[in-house]
Amino acid sequence: MEARPLNILVADDNQSDRMILCAIVKKMGHQVCEAADGNEAVDQYMQQKPDIILLDVIMPNLNGQEAARAIKTLAGEDMVPIIFLTSLQEASDLAACLESGGDDFISKPYNKIILQAKISAFGRMLKMHNTLQSQRDVIRENNDHMRHEQEVAKAVYDNVAHSGCLDLPNIKHMLSPFSIFNGDVLLAARKPSGSIHILLGDFTGHGLPAAIGAMPLAEIFYGMTAKGFLMADILREINLKLKKILPVGYFCCTCMASLSFRRQELEVWMGGLPDFAIYRKASNKVEHVKSSHLPLGVLSTQAFDTKSQSFDFLPGDKFYMWSDGIIESRNADSELFGEDRLFSVFEQYPNEKYFDRILSEVNKFVGESGRDDDTTLLELTMVDESVIGKVDIDLSSGAITGPANWNMTYTLRDDTLRTFNPLPVMLNILNDVPAMRNISGQLYTLMAELFSNAFEHGVLGLSSELKKTADGFAEYYNLRTKALETLNNDYVKFEFDLTPTQGGGCLTITVEDSGKGFDYTNINLKSEENVAYSGRGIPLIYSLCDSLTYLDKGNKVKVSLSWQTQLEE
Amino acid sequence: MSHLNMAQIQELKDVMEEAFGDLVMTYLQDSEQKLKALKKSINANDAKQIADLAHSLKGASANICAENLSALLKKVEDFGRADELNQVPYVFEQIQTEFRCVKTELQQLK
Repeated sequence: MEARPLNILVADDNQSDRMILCAIVKKMGHQVCEAADGNEAVDQYMQQKPDIILLDVIMPNLNGQEAARAIKTLAGEDMVPIIFLTSLQEASDLAACLESGGDDFISKPYNKIILQAKISAFGRMLKMHNTLQSQRDVIRENNDHMRHEQEVAKAVYDNVAHSGCLDLPNIKHMLSPFSIFNGDVLLAARKPSGSIHILLGDFTGHGLPAAIGAMPLAEIFYGMTAKGFLMADILREINLKLKKILPVGYFCCTCMASLSFRRQELEVWMGGLPDFAIYRKASNKVEHVKSSHLPLGVLSTQAFDTKSQSFDFLPGDKFYMWSDGIIESRNADSELFGEDRLFSVFEQYPNEKYFDRILSEVNKFVGESGRDDDTTLLELTMVDESVIGKVDIDLSSGAITGPANWNMTYTLRDDTLRTFNPLPVMLNILNDVPAMRNISGQLYTLMAELFSNAFEHGVLGLSSELKKTADGFAEYYNLRTKALETLNNDYVKFEFDLTPTQGGGCLTITVEDSGKGFDYTNINLKSEENVAYSGRGIPLIYSLCDSLTYLDKGNKVKVSLSWQTQLEE
Repeated sequence: MSHLNMAQIQELKDVMEEAFGDLVMTYLQDSEQKLKALKKSINANDAKQIADLAHSLKGASANICAENLSALLKKVEDFGRADELNQVPYVFEQIQTEFRCVKTELQQLK
């Protein structure tokens, strides 16, 4: 029954009583220390730190109740059960014992069985208390640690996510103080052209997982906006990054808007968010702006659609963005504020300062029912550009240019040629160049054609002419299988060369194979009638690049692609 | 009729084992001293002192299974607490007689 021997203090001025108690306690296997009065009991408590104290009530010098008070004060948070030894009968005397800090009584003459049962019970309680206390200490320590981490995270987050231009005179915003933990992101930055990019993001989930994705999002947003990238490029880049880093099921509902002062236009891309509002000053009407895309971080780059909606945006027009915290605000009856109520604010109060009106309506609705300030709201007003002044671009913001100047060769030999598809590996490397991502579909076709020409026609010497009839098709694959077996010191070698140019770049791909080549002297790059060239899809390749040249004996082809980075609208 | 509760005293002997003799000796010495002090207090009409000493003797006597003695001491304690000392000398006589019997029996048990 006993988990471990306890250390028990017996304090009784009567020596024979003390002897009996000590004998009983020792018989249970516990250790005993003794005190003959209240003062000794307090001294012994300090020296021996007993687990349980058996304390006589009436003792000379310091009596039992005084000693109990002193000991409980000294013990602080530690649990020291005190069992009073008493022959007192009066209820009020017994109550006074408990009030002075006693936990239980045992009356004289001592009953061995009851005393042992009480000691065991307090031993169990003590063990539980100690477990609780040490668990509480661990929790407290972890909590302190976590709070510290959150403070650091918030500082980092604020540096990254709020370094933009949310303080411009034509922007009013309120960011939930819980934004780092509820996954709301609000970013604004100016392009070199003077236009404003604004992004409201709402990550799935809460807490750290929701906050983490905000970092690369903000970094890309600010970095690329400062360099003058178009909204479509920035969205594609953020989508790719989030798709790469976020676990399945995590994404970011996003609205990105680009305000052009010159064209008096607002371009909006929205994915996965509730309707936003554009207020027209001239007509005093409100238009809904609806999401037409999936959230960021869901689709692959190939499937991702950057198409945005354009709205005329004349001076005095206002664009409102909000987090679902506003719509999901609840009143005392657990009713939602809801989208209808939100839009009706515009109808109810014509020509209002809607930013303040929306906040006050939400406050009024929620009332005193535990408002949690979980709201993010932004108002963007069209003004004359002179109101907000010239752009002050911080060129030190994160570089999103990718590798721009490099060369690589990749040679595939017999076994590898036979079994391995090299296209994904090569495309993956090329996709590190942001400009390539715009044309990744085109690039895939180009690479596939170049590889098939070099391998099927060059190395294996097959003619796709055969594939024109059903019989020929079968023969083609027969020949192909045979040819594959005879590979001996064969190869296909790719060379990529990427060089930066003024405002853009140039990619040259040279593909060489171990085949015997072909006579390309009279080749017409644009004609479909190049039967003599084993059906190499030369016109297709030519249509995909800027230049195409055959070299040596026709076993080497060089194509080049160049581009200008689209910076200004 | 025995002056000790014999069933209880057997239990006590089991608990104390070889220390039972020491316990009896300690109890007798301690009690003789306290009885002397009690006598003095009675002579001095010190009600508080009477009650405290009787209380202590009462508890120790109960523990040593001397039930009659303990009951007599409780009477004295109660008189002392109530500050009604008239009958105390008379009860004290009974206590001294009872104590001598208890002592004899305890010494036989050793």
